[in-house]
Amino acid sequence: MKKEIPILIGFFATIGWYLEFFFAGTFFENWKMFFTTGFRSVAIVSLIVGIVSVLRVNYSKIKYNNDRWFSVYQMCIIALMIIFASLRGVSPGTPFDAMFTFGFIPLDATVFSLLAFYVASAAYRSFKIKSIESAFLLVAAILIMLSKMPLGEAMWSKIPTIGEWIMDAPTSAGKRAILFGAFLGGLTMMIRIAFGLEKSHLSD
Amino acid sequence: MDVLISRLKKLDRRWIFLLIFLSCIIPFWIPSLFRQEFSTSKETQRVYDIINSLNEGDAIFIDWAFNPTLQAELLPMAEQAIKQCFDKKIRVFIYYPDLTAISLGENLVEKIKKEPRYTEIESGVDYIHLGYLPIGVDMMMFSMYSDFKSTFGKEGKIFKGIKTFDDIKYMMSFAGSAHPEYYILLQRRFGFKMGVGVTAVTGPDFIPYLQTGQLDGMLFGLKGAAEYENLRLKNLNLSTEELNEEKKFNQQANAGMASLTLSHIIMFIFIGIGNLIYFYERKFKKSN
Repeated sequence: MKKEIPILIGFFATIGWYLEFFFAGTFFENWKMFFTTGFRSVAIVSLIVGIVSVLRVNYSKIKYNNDRWFSVYQMCIIALMIIFASLRGVSPGTPFDAMFTFGFIPLDATVFSLLAFYVASAAYRSFKIKSIESAFLLVAAILIMLSKMPLGEAMWSKIPTIGEWIMDAPTSAGKRAILFGAFLGGLTMMIRIAFGLEKSHLSD
Repeated sequence: MDVLISRLKKLDRRWIFLLIFLSCIIPFWIPSLFRQEFSTSKETQRVYDIINSLNEGDAIFIDWAFNPTLQAELLPMAEQAIKQCFDKKIRVFIYYPDLTAISLGENLVEKIKKEPRYTEIESGVDYIHLGYLPIGVDMMMFSMYSDFKSTFGKEGKIFKGIKTFDDIKYMMSFAGSAHPEYYILLQRRFGFKMGVGVTAVTGPDFIPYLQTGQLDGMLFGLKGAAEYENLRLKNLNLSTEELNEEKKFNQQANAGMASLTLSHIIMFIFIGIGNLIYFYERKFKKSN
């Protein structure tokens, strides 16, 4: 019964939500709110699990001197943000917001912007015309890049139109094929879960 | 020639990093470095037209699904969309599916409220931050179609007349991932109108949905944001003096366009040099 009951719940939930998608009113309105509240409760529990996990990982790092000072620093920042948020709230102008604006935003943006440097370096070393296919790829990439900057239009007014055609026709055709495959895979997975053929979500 | 090719081949990547860095930075000091005129794409025009066609008191739902990593491209889009709604006195509901996005959105609205045009804008009346819900988009949509207000547990005059999501006239999702696809999948079920504001990298993922009509408009990358800025400013019908004043607050994406152009030129040059080395070596190997 340990396995059968969760599979049965999964079956009814899958069929229920599937029917609700096509036939409005399969679920009563208050049932939907019940499910919404249920999901929020699950999220709160997962938050607690996350907090405990962070504390445990950092405790062992501090205890056994494995990147000790990094863990101390990390825990101090987390504690500081929690204290500031609890004491003064999180609205603009509060200490929590200052930490977010002057700490988190620049750091987060900086890490992501490093991509530009690596992309440029990688393009220099590996974007080479080694075959007819790679020549097509390179020409298409340059046309798309030109169409996405004012210089392209200044060079030739048809560049944005060509860029648009590349995106609308060949790129879109490829994307559609990928999407069809992915969604058919998703549908198959749904059927497998509903009928208990797929048990990975039950830690099996 | 051999010496030059050999040197270029062993070029330290830090030189590339330095040039990319300079190409990003210099245009911010010399904004007139490149011609900044460009046409408006039909996807951007569509977003503008739809929001422009809404009436005073209508409501729009903004799904703010990006954090500071993507703010260079998406923040100017969100800013212009919110400002266009404020201009038209359209009520704005801002939802954050990402916890780290909340402060970004709150700070942007506070910044907008400091501009002379928007000093009268009030929280809970003209706009509201709906916060973050720890549930999936599908559950949230079903809940919003049952009872919009209680889904978020917020109060305010802004909710007057909004019982379910049916009363929201348009929604915009700003994201740098496949996140808006969750809404697109549900769009067939509920029939709401939606547009997206996405990064240049994720933009191609949404073109099939534009072609099927599931998406009503799309702001595509930094260029899309710059087009939207220009379009909104052009249609404000201001005098030259007022326009120059407004430009001080509405040129974030346009300011980045010169930087984008120069950094791409540097990329083209390096790709060209890389291929030159490759062909030279191939020819050299063949002749040997």
